[in-house]
Amino acid sequence: MVEIRWHSRAGQGAVTGAKSLGDVVSTTGKEVQAFALYGSAKRGAALRAYNRIDDEPILNHAKFMNPDFVLVIDPALAFTDNITEHEDSDTKYIITTHLSKEELIAGIPALQGREERVFTVDCVQISLDTIGRSIPNAPMLGAFVKISGMFELDYFLENMKRVLSKFPQKIIDGNMVAVTRAYEEVK
Amino acid sequence: MQHLKLLANDNRGLNELENGTGLVGWNEVTQGSILPSFEGDATNIAHLKSEERTYSGYNSYTATVASWRVLKPVYNRDICIDCQNCWVWCPDSSILSRDKQMLGIDYDHCKGCSVCVEVCPTNPKSLIMFSEQTLLEDALTQWPEKKKKEDK
Amino acid sequence: MAEKYDLQEREVWDGNFAASQALRQAQVDVVAAYPITPSTPIVENYGSYVANGYIDGEFVMVESEHGAMSGCVGASAAGGRVATATSSQGFALMTEVLYQASGMRLPIVLTVVNRALASPLNVRGDHSDMYLGRDSGWIQLDCFNAQEAYDMTLCAFKIGENHDVRLPVMVHQDGFITSHTAQNVYPLRDEVAYGFVGEFKPVDDMLDFSRPVTYGAQTEEDWHFEHKARQHKALMDSRSIIDDVLAQFKEISGREYKRVESYMMEDAEVAIVALGTTVETCIVAARELRKEEGIKAGVVAPRCFRPFPFDKIRDALGNVKAIACLDRSSPGGAMGALFNEVSAAIYTTDARPLVTNFVYGLGGRDFSIAEAKRIFKEQKAHADAGKITTDIQQFSGLRGPHLGFFQTKRS
Repeated sequence: MVEIRWHSRAGQGAVTGAKSLGDVVSTTGKEVQAFALYGSAKRGAALRAYNRIDDEPILNHAKFMNPDFVLVIDPALAFTDNITEHEDSDTKYIITTHLSKEELIAGIPALQGREERVFTVDCVQISLDTIGRSIPNAPMLGAFVKISGMFELDYFLENMKRVLSKFPQKIIDGNMVAVTRAYEEVK
Repeated sequence: MQHLKLLANDNRGLNELENGTGLVGWNEVTQGSILPSFEGDATNIAHLKSEERTYSGYNSYTATVASWRVLKPVYNRDICIDCQNCWVWCPDSSILSRDKQMLGIDYDHCKGCSVCVEVCPTNPKSLIMFSEQTLLEDALTQWPEKKKKEDK
Repeated sequence: MAEKYDLQEREVWDGNFAASQALRQAQVDVVAAYPITPSTPIVENYGSYVANGYIDGEFVMVESEHGAMSGCVGASAAGGRVATATSSQGFALMTEVLYQASGMRLPIVLTVVNRALASPLNVRGDHSDMYLGRDSGWIQLDCFNAQEAYDMTLCAFKIGENHDVRLPVMVHQDGFITSHTAQNVYPLRDEVAYGFVGEFKPVDDMLDFSRPVTYGAQTEEDWHFEHKARQHKALMDSRSIIDDVLAQFKEISGREYKRVESYMMEDAEVAIVALGTTVETCIVAARELRKEEGIKAGVVAPRCFRPFPFDKIRDALGNVKAIACLDRSSPGGAMGALFNEVSAAIYTTDARPLVTNFVYGLGGRDFSIAEAKRIFKEQKAHADAGKITTDIQQFSGLRGPHLGFFQTKRS
């Protein structure tokens, strides 16, 4: 079982990101779960979304998890939210930031000692460059593909295209570039 | 003079509501208390007059509330101007009228509320309440004279 | 002719989307709705299917949930296949008309996305609204995940519309935990799904001009009791038809459902009885406890909450020593409803296992595998002691001092 926790603000696309990830993963024959807790959340409010991936049908419906991956798609939440909550000794963190990894960790005591498991990528800038809006979910998926090694990039892009098929071609193309750039830039 | 069963078929007012007629057990009541109004195919009944229709036992047509009445309205054709006021106001559809001509009272369904008398505009009234036991022909002989305007 | 909807063999759908796809495949004629979180997408999606030509139907916007169910009653009495969705406060406002719908024996399908009832205001999942509906004369089917929300919605039409049933059906799923959780869902092809549900065959429909009928008759003490008794009998008798429909569904889908679901109960010594997503979380806990500590734990869940499966519950729990009944609704000064009903059923067995009650998860409070394990272990302690060693009713997952009520008088 792979468990993923997204830290996001309402409107940044963590819910869509989690569902897209689930959608693509399901094409490999795996069982997936993607959920988020929101409802009365206003745009900008902190929220968490969750993924579970397994070979067997997923029965656990608890929000509680010891995440294998923590994906932070809002730069400020890395500082203000408890992103290391219920972590495991090998939990990996992918954090969107314009800072260098060293600068970031220096500012977040909870991440100290986890340097090997922290990865950074500027999803906000990438989405501004490629999609024209600050929708950092797609770049985060590219970074996740790289760090998790769960798929080949091409396989992911191909299936992501299908998930996005209802959008205009321009948006699809922008997302493809965003995923690819983040895949290449995460470190 | 009006016949008591004016414009009625054999089923009108057949069942007395208060004597428990037709009470059945839980296994025989209609599902959902949904009540069909007619016996048989009713597709083309719209043009039929009430006495030509085959109302079912669930329809109020087949029930009578005549015994609820203490006073009854009696109709005097000689004075009536066929204004249809009574037909409009009657809460129990008990004014029998055809082609805008007033004919009389449905005594199976009239409860004796006297609204028809109140709204009758003629002088004297064309409908007047009499005790239930008064025979219709006697009532007509007791009809009041036209009221004169009182001097001011 | 409706447009063809593109479906994959395996989709990733949340519970809301799954339910709305079932409404599309059943080709529902009328949805009268007043959308409310978290069930909004069900009727929203139906509206878009109508607008985009996937269904030849009517979406009726109304001014309240009371109006929504009233519109459904009218459309159903007129002779259409009718459905809607609601949650929480909307469900509460609908309640008056729920009794009208069942009393008139109208096979409306209501997809309920369970949510807490205010006050305090809360949009998340618990079973307060589902419990509020339990005396309303509706069949209530309970789902534990998105796949089941799809499957049970299809079954609901076939059950309720059966001419020997003629009752409205609620299909319950947990707010957010099911409704907003995307999981693998394996839909049926449109023609298979519609073939299963079948063409709607109305009875006593008001648009049948060859046989005009009166709906909503007034019945006082001389008739009302008999009508209600007949309605109750129909609800009780629907048990065998529900069994039949679930068996037919297995034939077309390969997915097996029962009025009472039992997991690992063959040799279970302790059991949890629960509803909704908690059932599956408890299954994981039971599996782990069996592996880790050798505790013979099992899970029992009424798939069909109404008519309450008194018979099947008794069969499922007859051989265990201790049972925890989990109620996700504030019981308002009583023991939880599941506790009361399960207790009543097993009281008529020789075994008379020990039964305790947990109130948990109100307002969407998370229910974890660890907590399920703790409850199982507590039941094991009761079983070993041969009596209940804790309060009979306890609150689980609550902050502050322990909250519990009543101790056993059994020696």
